[in-house]
Amino acid sequence: MLLVRLRNEEVFAKRGAMIAYTGFVEFAPSSSGSEGMRGAAMRSVTGERMTLMSARGTGEVLYAFYGMHVTMISLRGETFYAESESVLAYDGRLRSGTEFLGQGGAGGLIRGAATGSGLFTTTLEGMGELAIVSEGGAIALDVTPQRPIFADPQAYVGHRGQIHSTLVTDVGWKTFVGQSSGESYQLKFTGQGTVYIQAAERGGNR
Amino acid sequence: MTHFRLETRRLLEITLQGERVMTRAGAMVAYDGQMKFEKSILAGEGLFGALKRRVGGEGFDLMTTSGSGRVYVAQNAAEILLVPLNNDRIFIESNSVLAFDDGMRSDTVFAGLRGASSGQGLFTTTIEGTGNVAAFTDGTALSLEVTPDEPLFVDPDAFVGYTGNVRQEFVFDVNWKTLVGQSSGESYQLKFSGGGVVYIQPSERR
Amino acid sequence: MTFNARTLPSNDNVNPYSFCVDVASEMFIQKGKMIAYYGSLRFEAISAGPYDALIRQSFNSPLYANDFVVVTGHGKLILGDRGYNISSFDLEDGNLTVRSPNMLGFDPSLICQESTVPGYLTLLGTGKFLASSNGEVHFLEPPVRVDEDALLGWADMPSPSYRYNYSYMRGKFGMVRGMVSNRTTGEERQLDFTGQGTVLIQSSEAALGGAADLEEVIARSSSLGQNELQQLLGNIQQRLQNR
Repeated sequence: MLLVRLRNEEVFAKRGAMIAYTGFVEFAPSSSGSEGMRGAAMRSVTGERMTLMSARGTGEVLYAFYGMHVTMISLRGETFYAESESVLAYDGRLRSGTEFLGQGGAGGLIRGAATGSGLFTTTLEGMGELAIVSEGGAIALDVTPQRPIFADPQAYVGHRGQIHSTLVTDVGWKTFVGQSSGESYQLKFTGQGTVYIQAAERGGNR
Repeated sequence: MTHFRLETRRLLEITLQGERVMTRAGAMVAYDGQMKFEKSILAGEGLFGALKRRVGGEGFDLMTTSGSGRVYVAQNAAEILLVPLNNDRIFIESNSVLAFDDGMRSDTVFAGLRGASSGQGLFTTTIEGTGNVAAFTDGTALSLEVTPDEPLFVDPDAFVGYTGNVRQEFVFDVNWKTLVGQSSGESYQLKFSGGGVVYIQPSERR
Repeated sequence: MTFNARTLPSNDNVNPYSFCVDVASEMFIQKGKMIAYYGSLRFEAISAGPYDALIRQSFNSPLYANDFVVVTGHGKLILGDRGYNISSFDLEDGNLTVRSPNMLGFDPSLICQESTVPGYLTLLGTGKFLASSNGEVHFLEPPVRVDEDALLGWADMPSPSYRYNYSYMRGKFGMVRGMVSNRTTGEERQLDFTGQGTVLIQSSEAALGGAADLEEVIARSSSLGQNELQQLLGNIQQRLQNR
C-alpha cells in the first residue's frame, strides 16, 4: 500500500487505486495527467483512454491495487519510463509524457502488442517520487554496455538511464505452441541503466 | 552444477555456466548472457509422456534452456519452493513444476481423478537424482513431516508434492463429500502415511 | 522449515498465509478453507445434528449457514484461503463486522449474525476469530472514507454511509457529469465512517464471485429504477453471451 500525505498538493494516480482517505481531498478524473493536451489528444486518437485520477488538497490518501506490490522510485531530474499500466501514483510536480511506440514503424506496433499494454509508455521526469505496481514485486536489473538484458515484454515494467530497447525474435523461442502472444518476442535492453522486471506476465500465463 | 537462487520469494534466478536446465515454458521473464531456448518434450519420457499430459488436459510445456548467464524465472507472481535433491526422488503435482536441473530423470504419471464431477486429472511428475528442483505455489508453501504414527490429511487442491517413503491414499469420506462444497466438487482428501515430507500450499485453487 | 504434528504452532500463524488451529473443542470454520490436518477430526454441516444447540446459540444466519462447518475432534488443523494473509483476532465483549468471504472461522463463544450491510457478518461477544485479507490488514481510525472494494470490516462503531464526491460529480462545466464507466471506483463513492472505533481495510478484494457477491448485487439492485434495471439486464445478457 502507498500512503501519500498531501499538504495543499496534488498527486496523480491510477483510477480505482484510492482505497481510503482522511482530510480535505478532492478527486477528479484527469484525462491527461500533467502531460497537457497533446498527450490527451494522442491517446484519444488511438482510443486509449488515460485512466488517471488527480487527488488534490490536504490530508492523507491510501493507494493500493489488488494486492499488487508497490515499488517506490525517487527521481532526481532524470526520466523514468514505465508501462502505463504499471504506474500507481506520481508526484504532481513530475512532468509526465507519453512515448508513442508506433513511431518505430512496424517494430514499434508489434512491441505494443507484445507487451500487452497498448502503444504507450509513460515517461515521468523531474524531481519527485513515483510508485509503480507489479505482480509479485519488481526487481531491478542493471544494464551495462558489456551485459545487455533480455526480457519477456509482458514482464517488463519500466526502466531508467540511457537505455535503448529493441524487439528481438528468437527462432527457438517462436517454436512454442500455445504460448500467449508475447512469447515469440523478447525485449533487448542495451546501454547503461536499470530495467525493472516483475515476477509475472501481464495478462497471465497459465 | 547450475545454481538456483531466490532473488525474491517470487522470482528465481538460475545461473548457468555452459549448462542446461528445464523450465516451464513461458516462465522466463528476463535473462542475460548467451542463452538458447528450445521446446522440449519432457526429457527422458518421449512421445508417450507428452501424449499422456495432453490427454489429461493438464498439459504443460517444458523448455530446455542452455547457455551461460543468468535466467530469471517466475510464474504469475506465485511463491517459489526450492527442493534440492541429493540422490532423492520428489513427486510434484505436474502443474506446479517450475524448473529443474537437466540430467535428472523425470516422468509423469496419471494419479487419479481430481473430482468425480470435474473430471480433471491429477498428474504427478517425478524427478529423481541429484540437483535443484523448483515448484511454484499459491502462497508460501508449508513442508509437513509424515511419520508412521502421525499420518497427514491434505485437501487435494492444496497438495504440491512429497519426498521420502510416503504412501498416498485417497480417502473418500461421505461426510467430507457433502461438506467441502468448493465449486470444483472435491469429494476426497489425500492421506499420507509412512516417513517423509509433504509440501502444501495455503490455497484451494490453482 | 519442516513441521510435524508436535512442532506446528498451536492457534497461531504458520506463515502469513496459513494458520494452525489446535482443535480441542468445537469451532466454526468456513468450508473449503481446510488445507491439511494431523489427528482425527470430524467436519459436520451446519444443520440438524448433535450440534444443534451449539448452532442455535452461536450461528444465527440461515443465509451463510451453508458456507460454514463445525469441526470437532483432536488434531492440528491448517487453514488457508486463496493464498491470502490470515490474521487471528481477539474480541472482548466486542462487536465486529467483517466481509463474509473473509471470515474463516470463529469460537462458538461468539455470536455470528448477518449485518444489515449486505455481504457482511457481525460477530458479538468474547472469543477468537480468523479472517483473511488480500495483503496485510490495515487499521484506520475514523473519520475516514474508504473504497468499498478495500473494506474488510469495522469494529465497535456505527455502520458506514455512502458519500459521493461532489466536486467529481459536478465536473468542469458545472453540469452533473455522467459516470465515466459503468463501474464506480473508490473515487466517486466511498463508505464514510464516523464515530469511534476501528476500520479494517485490505489492499483490495480480488474478484470473487460466489454467494456473498451475488447477495450484494441483489441488494443493491433494489434501489434501481426501470431504466437502470433495463441497462443492468443488457449488461448481464452481454456477459452471458460472451462466455
